[in-house]
Amino acid sequence: MSEHTERPGRGGNAADAEAVRAVLGGDVERYAELVHRYRDRYARYATQLLGSVDAAEDAVQDAFIRAFDQLSQCREPGQFVNWFFLILRNRCLADRRRGKKRSGLDDVGVALMTAPGMASDRVEQREDVYVLQRALMELTEEQREVFALRHVEGWSYEEIAAQTGASMAALKMRMHRAYEGLRQILRKGE
Amino acid sequence: MKRVLIFAVAALSSAPLAAQRTDVAAQLNGRVPAGVIQAAQVLADSAVLAGVPVSPLVQKALEGAAKNIPADRVIAALQTLFSREVTALGALRQGGVTSPDAAGVEGASFAMGAGLSASDVTTIARAGGTVYAASTTMRVAGTLAAVGVPAAGTVRLVSAALAAGVAPGDLGTFPGSVESAVARGMTPAQAAEGLARATQARNGVPPGQGRPGPRPKGS
Amino acid sequence: MTKIEEHPLEKDEAFVRLLSTLDRSEVRLSDDLDRRVMAEVRRRAAAREARRGWRWWVAPRDVRLVIRPWMVGAGLAAAAGIVAIVARPQSGNLPASVAQRAESVFVRFELYAPDARSVSLAGSFNRWNAGATPLVRRDGSGLWTVTVPLPPGTAQYGFMVDGQRWVPDPAAPSVDDGFGRRNSVIAVPGEGRTL
Repeated sequence: MSEHTERPGRGGNAADAEAVRAVLGGDVERYAELVHRYRDRYARYATQLLGSVDAAEDAVQDAFIRAFDQLSQCREPGQFVNWFFLILRNRCLADRRRGKKRSGLDDVGVALMTAPGMASDRVEQREDVYVLQRALMELTEEQREVFALRHVEGWSYEEIAAQTGASMAALKMRMHRAYEGLRQILRKGE
Repeated sequence: MKRVLIFAVAALSSAPLAAQRTDVAAQLNGRVPAGVIQAAQVLADSAVLAGVPVSPLVQKALEGAAKNIPADRVIAALQTLFSREVTALGALRQGGVTSPDAAGVEGASFAMGAGLSASDVTTIARAGGTVYAASTTMRVAGTLAAVGVPAAGTVRLVSAALAAGVAPGDLGTFPGSVESAVARGMTPAQAAEGLARATQARNGVPPGQGRPGPRPKGS
Repeated sequence: MTKIEEHPLEKDEAFVRLLSTLDRSEVRLSDDLDRRVMAEVRRRAAAREARRGWRWWVAPRDVRLVIRPWMVGAGLAAAAGIVAIVARPQSGNLPASVAQRAESVFVRFELYAPDARSVSLAGSFNRWNAGATPLVRRDGSGLWTVTVPLPPGTAQYGFMVDGQRWVPDPAAPSVDDGFGRRNSVIAVPGEGRTL
């Protein structure tokens, strides 16, 4: 089980900048480079946020297409990936506005457990994952997001603030609410 | 990424090359760094001697300044442009255009900048026969290349049209037609080939019907 | 650096154990995601071009007017009125001879850039003067536009965004500019004049 986490960076990337400019200049096929480079970068994040890999895949696909539509708005082509993250994030958070009820207990559990890349060898661990993951799905999207960025992606609060545009105060509040929410949900299950 | 174009005859200056100003400093002062002005002046003088137009060099220097390109890269681009103009002139002459005017050389240079080679220019020039407007034809060729038609397809389309008797002024609709076909899902190469065939078929019309030559003025 | 106070849960042994069971393995999306995205991207690029092409061809509410002496003289009041209004030359960007030349064609340039603070048009028709032809943002939208009279022939151009970012027209064919970037190409229709 690999635990690779990408640090969100502000450094800028010449290859991305060049590809973005090429696409804006008319070379649509160059967009495939960006898709290929970043297709899985935030797959885990989207899966945490939405509760299933299928939903994450839809969201990532939509986000890439949206990013293409709005590519002329990408102010810093070298930071395409950070800008893409925001588009993906918006797309994931917009899911709830579509009135998608969070799936029932069984759907979520099954989806998470059968997702590729999810550890499936240890039965006890499976049970634990089930418990915490399900509890997470009962939080709001923003609370779940902070939790996942902190504890799954491993970002610092500074990085979360920089990437999502949230203030530290808002993050603090969300995280506390996430913890409180989890505490109550987990207690209920005892 | 593409826009449908309507294109007719380029109404560019037909000034004889020898009569062009060579004082580029007047046009560049205040907008372009001194080093670039000097280089541009030297190239402009060479251009006059070589018989190629000066104004594209001035335009390129202004363009470089507008884009905040470092002086050494602007100078390199000017040198590239100058030598491309000289090559274009030679290619036109090889194709039978004995004294191309400024617009013709500019057009051929534009076509080469868009991806056509010197021999492509020569081939197209030769296809023009006696009724020939270098500037228009070359600009259409360059625009076709910019739209995505590969060089070979561009040469084929333009030469075939000229050989079939299409007036240079009527070549102008070609880039737009290619773009429309591309929007419907063809590749630029396919669109150009289709257009070449259609043009030949249409112009295999018996004399007396269809367009016999240059479009009358005032239409 | 602001410190977020630790929540008591972070010290709770049971919770920490639960935390460690979270699956952090990479999620891999299906292999044909790339193909699906690019298919849609290509479709949209083609649709965008078709829409723009359509806009060029539909004359009625278009500002692309061809000014010809006979048109003005024939007393087509509406057309002449429009021509008169739009014919006000942009400040200092074009040589007067171009604006007044009978065969100039008004062309509207647009760029969708909602986050831009300024957009201007620079090209061979305004001597690449990035300050001279600013685009104006349409109220409430991200669309910037400007309409300029152009002489017939081919021109190269692009947009300068926020004074420093060169953006070729996403809707137009392009050529290498000799500086490692691209210029957009526009061909302006005009009266036939054989050479």
